[in-house]
Amino acid sequence: MRLKIIRVAIFGLFVLIALGLFYTQVIQGQYFARLSTNNRIRVVPVEGWRGQLKDHNGKVLADNRLSYDVMVTPQEIQSTALSSKDSSGLREEEGGESLFRFLGQVLAVDPKAVAQRYSRGKTAPFVPVVVAQDISKEQAIVIEENRYRFPSVLVQESYRRFYPLGENSAHLLGYVGKISTAQRELSDEYGYSMQSIVGHSGVEEYYDSYLRGEAGGVQIEVNSRGQQVRLLGFREAQKGQDITLTIDSDLQQDALELIAQRPGAVVVMDMDSGEVLGLVSSPGFDPNVFVGSRPPGEIGQLFSNPLAPVLNRTIQGAFPPGSVFKVVMAIAGLHTQKIIPDTTFICPGFYQLKRAVFRCTHVHGAQNLIGGLAHSCNVYFYNVGLRLGSETISRYARWMGLGEKTSIDLPYEEDGLIPGREQRALEGKGGWRAGDTLNMSIGQGEIQVTPLQLARLMATVARNGVIVQPHVIKAIGDTPVNQFSYERRVKIDETIFETVRQGLRAAVTDEAGTAHVTDIPGLFLAGKTGTAQTSGGKKTHAWFAGYAKGKNRNIAFCILLEHGGSSFNACLMARDLFSRMMAKNIL
Amino acid sequence: MQRDIEKKIWLYTILIIGFGLVALYSASFENVRVSQQVFYDQLVFAGLGLSVMYVISRVDYRHFYDTAYIFYALNILLLILVLYGGRDALGARRWIEIGGINFQPSELTKFLVILMLARYFSKRRPMFLFDLTEKIEVILLEIVFPFALAGISMYLIFKQPDLGTAILLFGIFVIMLFAGRLKMRYIGGFLALVMIMIPFGWHFLKPYQKDRLLVFLNPNIDPLGAGYTVIQSKIAVGSGKIFGKGWLAGTQNQLNFLPERHTDFIFSVIGEEWGLAGALLLVFFYVQLINCGLEIAEHMKDKFGMLAATGVVAMLALQAAINIGMVIGLFPVVGITLPFVSYGRTSFLVFALMLGFLINISRRRTVF
Repeated sequence: MRLKIIRVAIFGLFVLIALGLFYTQVIQGQYFARLSTNNRIRVVPVEGWRGQLKDHNGKVLADNRLSYDVMVTPQEIQSTALSSKDSSGLREEEGGESLFRFLGQVLAVDPKAVAQRYSRGKTAPFVPVVVAQDISKEQAIVIEENRYRFPSVLVQESYRRFYPLGENSAHLLGYVGKISTAQRELSDEYGYSMQSIVGHSGVEEYYDSYLRGEAGGVQIEVNSRGQQVRLLGFREAQKGQDITLTIDSDLQQDALELIAQRPGAVVVMDMDSGEVLGLVSSPGFDPNVFVGSRPPGEIGQLFSNPLAPVLNRTIQGAFPPGSVFKVVMAIAGLHTQKIIPDTTFICPGFYQLKRAVFRCTHVHGAQNLIGGLAHSCNVYFYNVGLRLGSETISRYARWMGLGEKTSIDLPYEEDGLIPGREQRALEGKGGWRAGDTLNMSIGQGEIQVTPLQLARLMATVARNGVIVQPHVIKAIGDTPVNQFSYERRVKIDETIFETVRQGLRAAVTDEAGTAHVTDIPGLFLAGKTGTAQTSGGKKTHAWFAGYAKGKNRNIAFCILLEHGGSSFNACLMARDLFSRMMAKNIL
Repeated sequence: MQRDIEKKIWLYTILIIGFGLVALYSASFENVRVSQQVFYDQLVFAGLGLSVMYVISRVDYRHFYDTAYIFYALNILLLILVLYGGRDALGARRWIEIGGINFQPSELTKFLVILMLARYFSKRRPMFLFDLTEKIEVILLEIVFPFALAGISMYLIFKQPDLGTAILLFGIFVIMLFAGRLKMRYIGGFLALVMIMIPFGWHFLKPYQKDRLLVFLNPNIDPLGAGYTVIQSKIAVGSGKIFGKGWLAGTQNQLNFLPERHTDFIFSVIGEEWGLAGALLLVFFYVQLINCGLEIAEHMKDKFGMLAATGVVAMLALQAAINIGMVIGLFPVVGITLPFVSYGRTSFLVFALMLGFLINISRRRTVF
């Protein structure tokens, strides 16, 4: 009886086993078959080359170069140790140690540092760990020659971004690096993978989809150590498209030299086409830091530097425009017919609003509009401002494209800010007073604009109300890009712009004009200076924005020296920059 | 009738061994991880094992009964020797070297425990000079004392550490208690007591044994460590589907995704390359062999033979079922070989010994 029970129990057990086999092999069979295929078939992606970036003369700004990384496969270290007869734990470490000693010797670094990078990077036995990046070709050859001794070592060839001109156009170009989580979520369906190298900021990011090559790859069958057993398929990686920019790298170089590490920005734009010739933000950085094998601290320093070298001040920096804003005031006053060109105000050197005193730079005496612009008389524009009222000023400022993105083809552009009653109320900062209107009339207070916005404003003035679309792209591959030739036009009478232009021209030509220092022989130059006060007791911002008609092209420009003192400093820089441009036949 | 059973045992044993050799050939085929030597080794031991089986089936049945205690005692000495002078492999001490041959005494224990218990339960037990009430006497004589005897080797094997074999021996002990017609309430009480002790036993487990038990519950908690083997073996068996990938064509096997595939996990090679069809065929062979053993046990007139036959059959059945079960993730990975199929020389010989013994008792119906 008991044996019968045992028999039933044993057969029951085997029925269970048979059911288990049926479940595993038939019901889940397809699933496990797929897993087994995934197990052995691995796709090794090969990133395509990125397209080159060139300036408008064809000079290469961003290129690719071959680089060599050293990788170590953890499993292979162990197996070399195991094959040396005994399998005690000690040997394993010995295998690793001699390897790290060897690598340290070849790469001229401390073997301990190599071992440290290895142990930090180790994730799974079959995933190779990168222990050294971007080594020299000679070092790569030495390591390859010794692979028979250290089968766990692998030298991986890859293409690395390289910026031959260094700082030259850093902000404009951006840089490349590992894809960020946010970028990956946005662009999953476009074939980006976790390992993708993508553009960060600048043209590299904005035109990433054109620049990035199509990733190819090899499909290989691997064994459990991830070693290749045979090649199953191969698809060649495709090179991305080259992009030609509107930038002039010589102009960039000159601007960089002249600004000489002072914080600030230079924008030079062809005012007829909107092509940006020069876009310099200072202090700058070398984008090669982000792609090379520099110590990681270097990148950290860039971001922790209080002068924010990575910030692109031309489009991301929002500053009070100071007296440059008087251009908007003049247009608004004339268009609303609150003033005519001959409207005259007396400047006693200050303006008294009730008990508050608003100062002017000098005692200008009687000023008409042209004089007010040329001499940058605050009192003149206090009067204009009071006649207009803050809402009208805000409306005209926006109409002229201030306080909103220019939609240049670069990422992370800032809006700036045009203050007003509504904005005050929305932000809960209290009411708007007449004093605020006075401040705003001379581009002070909360108002903030980007240097690019001011450069575009100057183009608008020079072109009778045409708002050009600034852009940095000229051609993708051999195909010219035309989509930015679109122009907006503000419907303001030409004569109004003509009057303003006279004022801007007078600022340069008039002996007492604020920008007289820029009166370069042979160049038609007009502009408006600005010395914007800043809070916190820091030095003023120095502005000079305007337009110039040269032999070769007409430009609109804006120069800003952040906390650079008097606008005179910006004018000096403009003079030197334009002289150089003329010498090089750029202007 | 007896002749038929003997023939069937030979037939199914040889079929199983053959199946195992085919699988082992594939597991070691042109491979750096598993040397082809493993296959030839097993081939030699197949011949040796079958010879042992034949010899054992022909010796005097009486000797098994007479030497049961002595051999068991000697085996315990060997187990002690292993603990203090044995050879390490894979973090455990299971082997000793005798005359240049590596030998795993715990495998032999499996057979010797069966013989020892069979003799003990067949009523010829040492006398106790205590004056006790009947109940206590039953508990002491039928459970406590035999458990203490078998427990010595279980403990020594557990210390190696080899949890799987220790548990297996415990299972055999319970089955033999049951087959020995001990009253159910004693067995029930004993098992209940053991159940209560299990949580305390947890603390005596080695970390890797705890890992294995936890990983059994969810292999994915450690896919590259303890769970790796189970995941890979399940993938292997499952991907074989109904008819398998074909001999020497199992990718999990040939590309080294299966660790320990020539020993404890040999069944994953069979499942992958021969599919459900092959796997069920092998299971069928085992069931047939077990059936023969049970028939012999049922027809035994003397209790020693019946108990010993039951023990041998139970050992065969448990090892086969647990081994296959652990390969497909039904049971925890406990390091138990698949009889006659896994590579393992001592294991192979001991099963040959046990089946030889089974034939032996089938030839002679009574001892005395």
